[in-house]
Amino acid sequence: MNVAFINPFITAGVEVIKQIVGGEVEQGQLSIRTAIFTTQQVSIVVGVSGPVQGQVIYGLSQVTATKIASAMMGIQQVEFDEMAISAVSELGNMISGNAVMLLSESGFVCDITPPTMVRGMNVEIATQAPSLLVPLYTKCGKVDITVALSAVPSPVTA
Amino acid sequence: MAKILIADDAMFMRASIKKILTEGGHEVVGEAEDGQDAVEKYAVLAPDLVMLDITMPRMDGLAALAAIVNANASAKVIMCSALGQEQKVKEAIGTGARDYVVKPFTPQKLLDAVNRALAMP
Repeated sequence: MNVAFINPFITAGVEVIKQIVGGEVEQGQLSIRTAIFTTQQVSIVVGVSGPVQGQVIYGLSQVTATKIASAMMGIQQVEFDEMAISAVSELGNMISGNAVMLLSESGFVCDITPPTMVRGMNVEIATQAPSLLVPLYTKCGKVDITVALSAVPSPVTA
Repeated sequence: MAKILIADDAMFMRASIKKILTEGGHEVVGEAEDGQDAVEKYAVLAPDLVMLDITMPRMDGLAALAAIVNANASAKVIMCSALGQEQKVKEAIGTGARDYVVKPFTPQKLLDAVNRALAMP
């Protein structure tokens, strides 16, 4: 995978989380993954289509997800209920949307799919490998961003 | 006070936008969960303004915008999406959207866009 494809997701992740959750956000160590198994209790999957395509997965613990939902809603959320799930899914949507906006500035005009939530750890997600994972450390806990994107070859014209 | 229809597949966003609009003095007359739902509710509710997400299942917001504007050329629609690339904004404005708000947004930014659109003829 082209490492340049992950940078927009890191930039967008840091900025969007700062804006809607608050606090500082620090980037952790980038690592390569050869197959994608969910590493956290809650995973938000967003598809990317266009000249760059694949999937982006946002993984977080249920505690972190509940804290982030509380921050987004401005209320103390105790349960990880339907509204909290929607809030955290929207976080994945916002980061992905802002990231593909940055990708478009590099000439890759892409679309995203509505976010899908996967609950549970060690669930395999079929996608292109290898992928890159970067953790973001927020005031609510760690958010793992896994980016599995590849450029679509241009059609050969006669 | 304007009658507003909100279309977004995320329950959280519908609730957030509704709170902002209600506190801004407007009345949310309906909520839609996808583009098709928005087109159908627009026909029934005849709102003064529609807040329309783009990335939605069944029918996306740009297709819904085209259908709403086709049914009523003077419809006031504001796109409200996480997708802010120039191509999407141009397509939406070219199809007839009055404004385009990129998520995440502040309450004031949303209300400013709504009030600007409502002031248009």
